[in-house]
Amino acid sequence: MNPITPIINGMKITLKHMFMKPVTLQYPTERPKVAKRFRGLHALNVSHDKAKCVACYLCPTVCPAKCITVEAAEDANHDKYASVYEIDMLRCIFCGYCVEACPVDAVKMTEEFELANYNRTDFIYSKERLLVKK
Amino acid sequence: MVNLTIDDKQVTAPKSATIYEAAKLNGIKIPILCHDKKLKPFGACRMCLVEVEQMKGRQIPACTTPVTEGMIIRTSTADIVKARKMVLELLLLNHPLDCPVCDKSGDCDLQNLTYEYQVNSNRFTDEKFSHEIDYNNPLIERDMNRCVLCGKCARICDEIVSYGALTFIDRGIETKIGCEFDDGLNCEFCGSCIAVCPVGSLLARPFKHKARFWAMTKHPSVCGYCGTGCNITLGVKDNKVLTTIYDEEQGFHKGQLCVRGRFGYQFISSEKRLTTPLIKKNGRLIESTWDEALELVAGRLKGGNSVAALATPRLTNEELALFKKLLVENVGTKNFDHAAGYAHTALTGGFARSFGTSASSATILDIQKSDLLLVIKTDAYETHPVVGFEINMGVKNNGIKLTILSDKRGKLSKLPDATTIVHRPGSEVAILNAIAKTLLDDKLVTATAATIAGYAELEKALSGFTAEAVAAECGITAAAIKTLAAAYASAEKALIIFPAGQAYSGHNAELATAAANLALLTGKYDREGCGVLCLSEKNNSQGAVDMGFFAQDGGLNGVQILDACAAGTVKTLFIAGENPLISYPDHAKVKAALEAVDFLVVSELFLTETAAMADVVLPVCSYAEKEGTFTSTDRHVQYFKAAIRKNIKIKSDYEVFSNLVTRLGGALPPTPALFFSEIAANTPGYQGLSHVSLRKEGAFAPVATAPKFVAPLAVAPFAPETGKLALVTGSALYHNGTLSEYGEGPMHVCPENYVELSRSDASLYKIAEGDLVTLSSSSGSIKLKAKITPRMPAGVVFSPYHFSAAPINTIWNGSPVTSVTVSK
Repeated sequence: MNPITPIINGMKITLKHMFMKPVTLQYPTERPKVAKRFRGLHALNVSHDKAKCVACYLCPTVCPAKCITVEAAEDANHDKYASVYEIDMLRCIFCGYCVEACPVDAVKMTEEFELANYNRTDFIYSKERLLVKK
Repeated sequence: MVNLTIDDKQVTAPKSATIYEAAKLNGIKIPILCHDKKLKPFGACRMCLVEVEQMKGRQIPACTTPVTEGMIIRTSTADIVKARKMVLELLLLNHPLDCPVCDKSGDCDLQNLTYEYQVNSNRFTDEKFSHEIDYNNPLIERDMNRCVLCGKCARICDEIVSYGALTFIDRGIETKIGCEFDDGLNCEFCGSCIAVCPVGSLLARPFKHKARFWAMTKHPSVCGYCGTGCNITLGVKDNKVLTTIYDEEQGFHKGQLCVRGRFGYQFISSEKRLTTPLIKKNGRLIESTWDEALELVAGRLKGGNSVAALATPRLTNEELALFKKLLVENVGTKNFDHAAGYAHTALTGGFARSFGTSASSATILDIQKSDLLLVIKTDAYETHPVVGFEINMGVKNNGIKLTILSDKRGKLSKLPDATTIVHRPGSEVAILNAIAKTLLDDKLVTATAATIAGYAELEKALSGFTAEAVAAECGITAAAIKTLAAAYASAEKALIIFPAGQAYSGHNAELATAAANLALLTGKYDREGCGVLCLSEKNNSQGAVDMGFFAQDGGLNGVQILDACAAGTVKTLFIAGENPLISYPDHAKVKAALEAVDFLVVSELFLTETAAMADVVLPVCSYAEKEGTFTSTDRHVQYFKAAIRKNIKIKSDYEVFSNLVTRLGGALPPTPALFFSEIAANTPGYQGLSHVSLRKEGAFAPVATAPKFVAPLAVAPFAPETGKLALVTGSALYHNGTLSEYGEGPMHVCPENYVELSRSDASLYKIAEGDLVTLSSSSGSIKLKAKITPRMPAGVVFSPYHFSAAPINTIWNGSPVTSVTVSK
């Protein structure tokens, strides 16, 4: 085969890409577009100023990474609520089973993906940190 | 046996079985909500419908239909499944679907069946119930919105517990389970209703929201409170005992428990548990290391006869035997005892001389097989509630005649046709002797009785115990004694039951021999449904006796040890688990003795009042953290494994004693399993037992009887003093020993000491319910809350002994009856 042709073909592709939109994002100045169904950081849904979670323990039961800690308690109206709801993000594999298992739509996964932190302890998200902010 | 066909399978079943039982027996599962092994068939839920070919294929309830020869039964045809689905749809129509917040979820029969039959939709519509939820008591929560009206709670409360707190009220769609006047539940809180509830209508409040059922591991064990030897299942999560779980297949009692067994488990995983050895330095207990503490203890144990020991009969057989070995072989002392030195004398003194063995000649299983029960003191129910359930069932289902000799009325007195002979306190022995005398006088003795050794002496010694003379002294009628004697003699099978314990100092060797004499005179022993059953107080009281852990061969007994401590002849006292300051008679004397003794070692779970006085405190394991064997009151030897891992910083008593043996120059004892085989070989009745052979359901150690009549001593009866009341001590239903104070459940319903007095005394002293009254005796005075009950006769007051905040031993010095003055 003509030794020049492959070089020309290669250069064609190179030239084509020079005029295409680059795949790389100039993060953090450029932000990715996160899909609606992306499985990022968890959040606890709020209803009537209270977390919707009823501490049924289905999410820690189903969690394959065993990263969810729930402790139930009884409030003044004898209702069940989660006094402790912690997710260890170092262990979480973002499978979304917890969201699927939740019978009361209390836990969801957000588009938040920037989870880097300086301390290991900061990766344990307590209930306060997980509550949906208004 | 009858032959029948279930689902094309040829099976046999007993004649008395229902279709449901026959199917279960042969491994065929029929779904059901309203059935429990212990209860009578009811047929409420209609889930167990089956088709019987002979009945023209109609659907009939399996749980109420008895089997007949040649029946051809189908349990799951398409029609049956359709019907069951409909039943579930109708149940789910009003059932709130709040499984996420319901603690029953995972263990719920309705949930499981809904899943199994895939009832995903409902063709019907209706409103859910909105009954008020009963939060009125601290132990049992009642949510009638979830109820499926199976009636199990009401039936178990009536048929077995015989309390009758719950029943169906209202009609039709409005039917619900309610209490009297539709008020809050206020009962004896045994929690049987919670155990049998197929849904989440009845829940244990101490366990509320603690864990989901599937997250717990279930560990079968043996209850650590009274001597009944009930089997329990502990629910464990994260190495913590969170609850007790019902299992209808467990034990002779089929999973039935009392309030302390079911709700008193919190002491195991309590925050108050000791975790490090403590050594007293400059008058304060300072945290220390095991090495330092054990070295110190070992040094002080080298004192031969000046060393004494008291052990609680809550230790395992292995531990008690090893402790004895340590004391006898390595320390060189015979001064050791348990249970205040007298609570076991009915066995070690009484039965030993009358029957030749320090054990009861009957078992708990004999109760339901008997024809007549003679119960001494209604307290038998309070001390051993599950034995009480056996009595309830025997009387109600089998028509057993029940006669109670007691100084007060009680729950057993309320059973149908029960006769309660209320006598003056402290006169039970005299009455038993009068019955023996009547048997002799009225020629009601068996022919073989005269051949038993000591017959002539007994006849002579009983001459003073005529029915008339004793009746006058004891405040009853001679006719009552004579009727009882005749009934006892004429019954085909008769069983005498009496409780023993640290609060029942009158239930001693004399009482045991007096009861044994009756059994021997009428030949009612060594047979099914006959004999004398002593209900010993603690979970291993019988084991402590079998292991020989009591004063013998010239060793000092419990009371003498404390006297010797005060006198200075005992220099080192090792207390393993006992709390003499609260549970032994005469608070001031015990305190003086414990203060006087040179060196006091206490091995305990908690820093009890006694442990606080010690020079060295050793933190040890509860039964849930170790393995071993317990021997129940009827000599049922049961093995149990550790349910949880022990805290790494504590040791079991067995490890403590082993360590001390080696420190005192002995050879390292073997593992508990090997050691048990060793001691079993040398203990009468235990031969051949081992941990492996006991693993499944334990074994009864047989009791060999060598009968002998023992002549009674003439004892002056208790004479009531004018202006004073007679105080009798005992056990409260909610407590056992002093351990139950650390079980939260019992403390929720019975948190403090009280004094029970009759209505007439209450009006005489102008005392109202709940008043703080002062009781004074010759040894001290105490302030207690008054409880006015119709069960007390005039002139008699009752107070239990479990409470450290107001210990009754400040006014009680160990006599069966104490004269006290009552003032407001």
